[in-house]
Amino acid sequence: MKHCLLKPLSLDAWDDRYRELVQSGLIDPFYGGPLSRHVTASGDHRLERLRFDSSPAALRLWNFLLTENERLRQARAAGDRLVGAMKDLGTVPVMAFALKGLRAFYPDGTWWTPCLMEETDCLLPKAEALGIDASFCPVRAMLAAFQDGGHFPRPDFLICSAGAVCDDFSAIAQRLEKLGFPVLWWEIPRRRAPEPGETHSVLPGGMVTARELVDCVREELARVGKALAELAGQVPSDAIWKEGVQAANHVRGLLAELRRTVYRAPVPPLPAIEMLIAEMLAIHYCSDREETVAVLTDLLDEARRRLGTRVGVVADDAVRVFWVNPVADLRAMNLLEEWGGCLCGSDFMFTHAMDFIPENMPPLEALARMALADPMVGPAADRAARVVREARAAKAEAVVVARIPGASHSATEGRVILEAMRHALGIPGVEVEIAPVCDAMQPTLAGRLQALLETARARRMKKP
Amino acid sequence: MIFAGIDAGSRSIKVVLYDAATRKVVGRGIAEQGVDQARLAEALFDQTLEASGLGRSQVARTVATGYGRGSVRFAQSTVTEITCHARGVWQTSPNARTIIEIGGQDSKVIWIEPDGRVRDFAMNDRCAAGTGRFLEMVAARLGVDLCKLGEMSRASARPAVISSTCVVFAETEIIGLLASGAAVADIAAGVQKAIASRVSTMAMRAVVPPVYFTGGVALQAGMCRALQHALGAEVRVVPDPQFTGALGAALVAADQAD
Repeated sequence: MKHCLLKPLSLDAWDDRYRELVQSGLIDPFYGGPLSRHVTASGDHRLERLRFDSSPAALRLWNFLLTENERLRQARAAGDRLVGAMKDLGTVPVMAFALKGLRAFYPDGTWWTPCLMEETDCLLPKAEALGIDASFCPVRAMLAAFQDGGHFPRPDFLICSAGAVCDDFSAIAQRLEKLGFPVLWWEIPRRRAPEPGETHSVLPGGMVTARELVDCVREELARVGKALAELAGQVPSDAIWKEGVQAANHVRGLLAELRRTVYRAPVPPLPAIEMLIAEMLAIHYCSDREETVAVLTDLLDEARRRLGTRVGVVADDAVRVFWVNPVADLRAMNLLEEWGGCLCGSDFMFTHAMDFIPENMPPLEALARMALADPMVGPAADRAARVVREARAAKAEAVVVARIPGASHSATEGRVILEAMRHALGIPGVEVEIAPVCDAMQPTLAGRLQALLETARARRMKKP
Repeated sequence: MIFAGIDAGSRSIKVVLYDAATRKVVGRGIAEQGVDQARLAEALFDQTLEASGLGRSQVARTVATGYGRGSVRFAQSTVTEITCHARGVWQTSPNARTIIEIGGQDSKVIWIEPDGRVRDFAMNDRCAAGTGRFLEMVAARLGVDLCKLGEMSRASARPAVISSTCVVFAETEIIGLLASGAAVADIAAGVQKAIASRVSTMAMRAVVPPVYFTGGVALQAGMCRALQHALGAEVRVVPDPQFTGALGAALVAADQAD
């Protein structure tokens, strides 16, 4: 029996849908409202080109994402201290949210602002004027956002990891510090396999690394924890961090279930673009841990409901695509589905933030191990091995590796991942570079993605 | 029954009319690409039909491919160049396992299965240094006709080294080479070598023989030799390489009608 195909909505259509939902008794959260208000109020013009899932759960997700700066200002007004956790894919926020009165956010998330605002606020040229030009990753938009103060509020405390992180970001963050934004740096060493006979530790996700690296990161996190606790006026303790780990695992558990439900379904019940945004919540909770739980719970309920009623967001014969890396232009995720593909799995560069943080060991030890499992702090081959494993489990028919223009971590790893996929799974793959506004590149993008989907479809046919 | 394939490329539009009953190409045409892509494609289609003594009503199905495929509104469907080049090459050279296609705007490596299906592919469409555009720029800079550039390269005993990976910077290098008195033949051969090197990198040392070369750049004398040298494998040029995409599109149209 075929699935019922649920078409995505344009922004205008969402306004009509919103009115219907309100009339039928929709209870909006405090940050709710029609999506189009983000265009008029914040200049998020890209929304006019995107296609959205039609569920109230998706509406809540989008509103949650797009009100982060407002909510941060409200939190400050209510007395919370704001902690900017930079170059951090899910470690320091776990600790900060465990302390009463602290609220962590992810300034790096500004890398999507040029896309959402279609570059109308000129963050990228402003960053260039500050010495960080187009040869850097679009995350350079963050630098201008700090300087002009028109996006997120100036944080009370800035923390940034250094060491085995991307070169671009290190340069940008150092420039930021020079501009008068003091940063507490913590070091994350490059992950390496233990030497023969060397003491080792197992990391979440199954990788093994040298014990001394875990010790180093644990000590660094203890230093960070002390600074955070001082800011919150509390005494750091394992009990506090343990609460943070348990709460993080609650979010991760919901995400794991959401991914299982959506990606393992014969026809995905939620679209790729909403899945990308939902997964991003793992790393920083969009500045609100409790609300993240509510947003993810709604999405999971919606996915389960659709699965039970055989409702999908793509055609039954959509090509199952495993997607690697987030995209600078969210429109690319729509295009995948418009051209006949669907998302069956993902590695948006923070797979370690999807893994459970061990609870059977001291919390800082567990967090250190989790931080070292970050795909970006180790060899590309490690990441490729995980992508292969997950793509195999997802029964992927093709793989897309998205590149971020200027991002140093994207320079060569795409090739390593594609070669590993070809070798291990024998499925076709492409690497595509997606700029913050990719409209002009759409013919190029179409050429690659459509060819990939055609190739995957042709492989379904029985050999003569 | 007649099937039509239209390859709306970045430099030129190609039309192939294929008779499925006789398995023969019964007409073909080529025209330069321009601003009004839809009108140009339609005009070429009509001219080719007329020259072949056919009318639109005799065409059972039309498939468009190439960068401008979306603008060919009278086509019943569109298919990418990857699928079409693979189909076109396999028709004329069924033993092909690797296809190198270099067009005006991009270059591709396509690996195909023994049954003609695409196994995988790699594309360069973000850098002009591995495409026909590089040759056009060099021809213009050297003041020679594009068609003559390849012939000139044959006279080269020592191809110039073009080290820039960007066409804009490569142009600067060529100006420098000319100023230093380098022979035009050596520059032409050096550019071919540079393009072949880009394609070889894209092929990731995974070339499976036999290798076939298609696309408009395959008509350039010396280019096949440069590719052979870079890939370390024998490379054969398919018949009428500039029409392979359009032929493949016509064959796909016939397949779709089955």
